Amino acid sequence: MEDTIIQVRNLSKDYGHGRGIFDINLNIEKGKVYGYVGTNGSGKTTTIRNMMGFIKPDRGNVTIQGLDSWKDATEIKKSVSYVPGEIAFPSLATGTDFLKLQADYLGIHDLTYMNHIISMLQLDPTANLKRMSKGMKQKTAITAALMGDKDLLILDEPTTGLDPLMRDSFIELIREEKEKGRTIFMSSHIFEEIEHICDQVAMIKDGRIVDTIDLWSLRHWKTKIFDIRFKGLDDYKKFLAKFHQIKDTDEDELLCQVEMPVSEIEQLFYVLKKFSVASIKEEHITLEQYFRKVYEKGRG
Amino acid sequence: MSIIDVSNLTKDYGHGRGVFDVAISVEKGECYGFLGPNGAGKTTTIRHLMGFSKPQKGSTSIMGRDSWKNSAMLQKMIGYLPGEIALPQGITGTGFLNMMKRMRGLGDDSYLKMLLEKFELDPNIGTKQMSLGVKRKLAVVTAFMHDPDILILDEPTSGLDPIMQQIFIDYIEDEKKRGKTIFLSSHIFHEVDATCDKIAIIKDGRVISKFVANDLKNKSDKVYRVTFKTIEDYRKFEKLPYQFASKNPDKLRLRVHVLDDDVNQLITDISNLGIADFHEFPTTLEDYFMKFYKEDRVFEGVK
Repeated sequence: MEDTIIQVRNLSKDYGHGRGIFDINLNIEKGKVYGYVGTNGSGKTTTIRNMMGFIKPDRGNVTIQGLDSWKDATEIKKSVSYVPGEIAFPSLATGTDFLKLQADYLGIHDLTYMNHIISMLQLDPTANLKRMSKGMKQKTAITAALMGDKDLLILDEPTTGLDPLMRDSFIELIREEKEKGRTIFMSSHIFEEIEHICDQVAMIKDGRIVDTIDLWSLRHWKTKIFDIRFKGLDDYKKFLAKFHQIKDTDEDELLCQVEMPVSEIEQLFYVLKKFSVASIKEEHITLEQYFRKVYEKGRG
Repeated sequence: MSIIDVSNLTKDYGHGRGVFDVAISVEKGECYGFLGPNGAGKTTTIRHLMGFSKPQKGSTSIMGRDSWKNSAMLQKMIGYLPGEIALPQGITGTGFLNMMKRMRGLGDDSYLKMLLEKFELDPNIGTKQMSLGVKRKLAVVTAFMHDPDILILDEPTSGLDPIMQQIFIDYIEDEKKRGKTIFLSSHIFHEVDATCDKIAIIKDGRVISKFVANDLKNKSDKVYRVTFKTIEDYRKFEKLPYQFASKNPDKLRLRVHVLDDDVNQLITDISNLGIADFHEFPTTLEDYFMKFYKEDRVFEGVK
């Protein structure tokens, strides 16, 4: 238990009309990157705001390194780097002014680490804060939060609005933090980044945790799915007759979807070599598909 | 006739920021994608199209009318989704939608009801209590409620969850079929890939590339990673005349570039060898764009 950094126990905050979060239980261990995903309005930010001690739970509690997040909110903030989901900057002229103020506030005199983040994210902080584009604001907020170099990072959709290259740089930054032994809790909609960096993921739906996944097991999925498109109807039909692990077909498109254990992959190519294939595409079993399955249950 | 026309648009904010000589034209019924890294000038261009910002040089026009001079009139014909949303406070989503309905003189709200249902939005909640994603949904519904012929969308799915993103993409495809003209900026490649007919890339305020989306889709080059069972088979394959992206003899695997036209050859070659795993890496629009996104500027930091 001593390795638990964030513990969320039966956390509930009822906003009425079925909105809010209900009986959330999470356990985030030291050194792990923990992902938090869910549909819009499912309660991600509410959970995070409870963790940060911005709101008082109706029931249950959150402890961070043994401290109660509501009662010891001031103490906790000293050891947490936090990126909020929506950013409101003070009215200062430039990003540089803001970052300097933030460094002052955090008692940082050596700006080396901050400048490392700035160069990783390719942020030009001399721009006018008010005129900054959404992505630039997000970069500024990330820099302001991470420069504290704290042991725990709580990030609410940190990459919303970042372009793909910057997302990659951000992932690189998080990896560096992880190597330093930092504990990271982040919410996101971008499954690729969650898949790349998280050890565990919790899914929230309508205010309740519906699943927690160990991503390691998802990465080592042993089933293969391929979409195979044939050049002619003849080949398409013969293949269907010959190969039995067919999952789905589309005759108009001459498309077959096959599913098999990775150990039987040779068999597929052995059969395929007799046919004219237009293309092979792999269906990747991703967190996103997993997510869709979980969320589409009970819809409609 | 082009519906949206940007010609030699220039707005210099100093320090190399702004947009310079941007020229784009969007025909009726087209969906045009506008891509570029953060801070490249996408929103600046869109704000000119909406008539919020006055060009220093050049002009933008919609249906042949100058955006700056006719902004009030044009805004009625356009469904505009801003990149950043500021909603009034002390009002519920329903109150806000009613206000917008009155402002636009909208009598029939059957289209609005359809949108609320489609985007699964319950507007009976104060704007202050809304999460970012719910605010985005409200903005989407507000932008489209008057069923406009022209849609101008600034990063429309940013902040939406994957299920909503898909619903949004389906909606755009349907609207396109109804003959709407759409201009959208985005970072999410699969949304551009799924919806856009033409694409322009902007970087450091300048359009650096324009092309027809289909041309790119037909570039059917794929990357496969083949893992062999034995080093002998690995060596045999390594000698074949393929374009290898990477080789890893320790793990007995290689990555190979193959055009779809040559996929039969690949199948024949590997079916004679012992394969432990076969993996396809989608070469998406994203890979293609990444090269435009690379930045060679040096960032100074704070001193």
